[in-house]
Amino acid sequence: MAFVEVGMERPSWLARIGHEHLRVLFFSLGKIGQAPLAAALTALVIGIALALPAGLYVATRNLSSVGYSWQANLQISLFLKDSVSPERGQALAREMGSDKIVGKTHYISREQSLKDFRKQSGFGDALDILENNPLPAVIVVTPSAGQTQADVSQLADRLAKLPEVDIAKLDRQWLERLYALLAIAERSVGILALLLGLAVMVIIGNTIRLDIESRRDEIEVMKLIGAPDSFIRRPFLYAGFWFGLGGGLLAWALVAAGTHVMAGPSAELASLYGSDFRLAGLATADGLALSAAGVVLGWAAAFVTVSRRLALIEPK
Amino acid sequence: MGELIRFDHVSYHYRGGQDVLSEVSFSIDQGEMVYVTGPSGAGKTTLLRLMAALCRAHRGQVLVMGQNLSALKARRVPAFRQRIGMVFQNFNLLYDRTVFDNVALPLVIRGYSHGDIGRRVRAALDSVGLLGKEKVLPLTLSGGEQQRIGIARAIVTKPALILADEPTGNLDPEMAMEVMRGFERFNQAGVTVLIATHAIDLIEALPHRNIHLEHGVITDKRPTAASSFRGGDTDGLR
Repeated sequence: MAFVEVGMERPSWLARIGHEHLRVLFFSLGKIGQAPLAAALTALVIGIALALPAGLYVATRNLSSVGYSWQANLQISLFLKDSVSPERGQALAREMGSDKIVGKTHYISREQSLKDFRKQSGFGDALDILENNPLPAVIVVTPSAGQTQADVSQLADRLAKLPEVDIAKLDRQWLERLYALLAIAERSVGILALLLGLAVMVIIGNTIRLDIESRRDEIEVMKLIGAPDSFIRRPFLYAGFWFGLGGGLLAWALVAAGTHVMAGPSAELASLYGSDFRLAGLATADGLALSAAGVVLGWAAAFVTVSRRLALIEPK
Repeated sequence: MGELIRFDHVSYHYRGGQDVLSEVSFSIDQGEMVYVTGPSGAGKTTLLRLMAALCRAHRGQVLVMGQNLSALKARRVPAFRQRIGMVFQNFNLLYDRTVFDNVALPLVIRGYSHGDIGRRVRAALDSVGLLGKEKVLPLTLSGGEQQRIGIARAIVTKPALILADEPTGNLDPEMAMEVMRGFERFNQAGVTVLIATHAIDLIEALPHRNIHLEHGVITDKRPTAASSFRGGDTDGLR
């Protein structure tokens, strides 16, 4: 066997890359497996950091879906003039019902209003002092399903012009306020995500940096025998990948657990409001995006750290 | 046989220090076995480091395997270094990996397939007499065996050039002789071998061309027992 053999054949470029990445993927996993507790703690910290904005995201999305479902139940209250007779009021309610924007109408006479108020408010005694019934008759108009907010406001404006109607009230101010609040909440989710993403990068970067320091001799030897930087860097990049993936999956699990814990109480609250609202957890696509975000952050943090450190290590 | 290494008026100094090498010129042909000798601090290690592109000459030209090292770009250095087998006094093994993994490393770096790596690593271990120790961790082996792992790692890529810096410095005489004989065997197979060494007794036992450095300059003086820390204590070796 000749010892000097110039131009030995190597596998194709693509096969080499694929093979090498697969090797390092499992090699780095094995390295992490050698200190499972430390790795688990790092992943946990990353998981918590990612779970915070993800959890807040889930919360705001649920709130906005509550708002949306209430918007569908938007009602117009038409307060009738006192001069309008109950018969005319009922007829008016029926007439309105034939409009195709209107889904349902419900006439409440002055007497009925008074009775309801007496029952619900607890001010019955106060009402006895009054000579006249101060409450107006009301027609509650529920728009038919699938109407936009603009359609509904237009309907309210139109109905307000009817001679029998005193005031038409479309109560959506609180909804607008809710949406304004949600917009703020969503913005803060973004800021929080940015800051905690940075924190995740620092955590992973620091973990990788300690790993590099403890393997300094190994890196020197590798440089001595001609390992290119990309080769030396790769296991650390995959370590960042695993930490990021572990943290992302853990964050997903934390949010899922949080949703599970909150599901009972929130369903109870919803039922008190007569709603069949159910708390929605992180969708699969969102969960995958969360894990992907972890991976990208881990990889990027490792890349920055290793590239900076590697240049400082030269074989003696 | 062609010229494999050429030094043309090469000088090197550490930052702010005196010349470690000054105006050194020599050439080594392909297939030669050459000792680099001289007292500590004479510049032996620096000479080898220059050849392996671990440092760059401040003046003069270093040509190794047709490559002008002063023109070598930093990102091409690893690829260049892969073409050289290097052996070190302190072995420079990875102690958390098995003998097999240590020897396989240069092949892994170059991206050989799994099957190829297995075959070549076993062939390399066989040639240093360590076949059967593949799964062992290096620390459980003797110094001589560890150095042979280092040598197996250096030859596993079948390089045309082997550079050895004090390869026997940490070995007892018997093992040192064994290791030197190994280098001679590779040389007979066509590999150019350069060994920086203090071990006069070994040089005398296995004579080859000698480049003797003193104060950074090549001299005609030959190493004497007095300049070797090993002295004459290995006379009874053979």
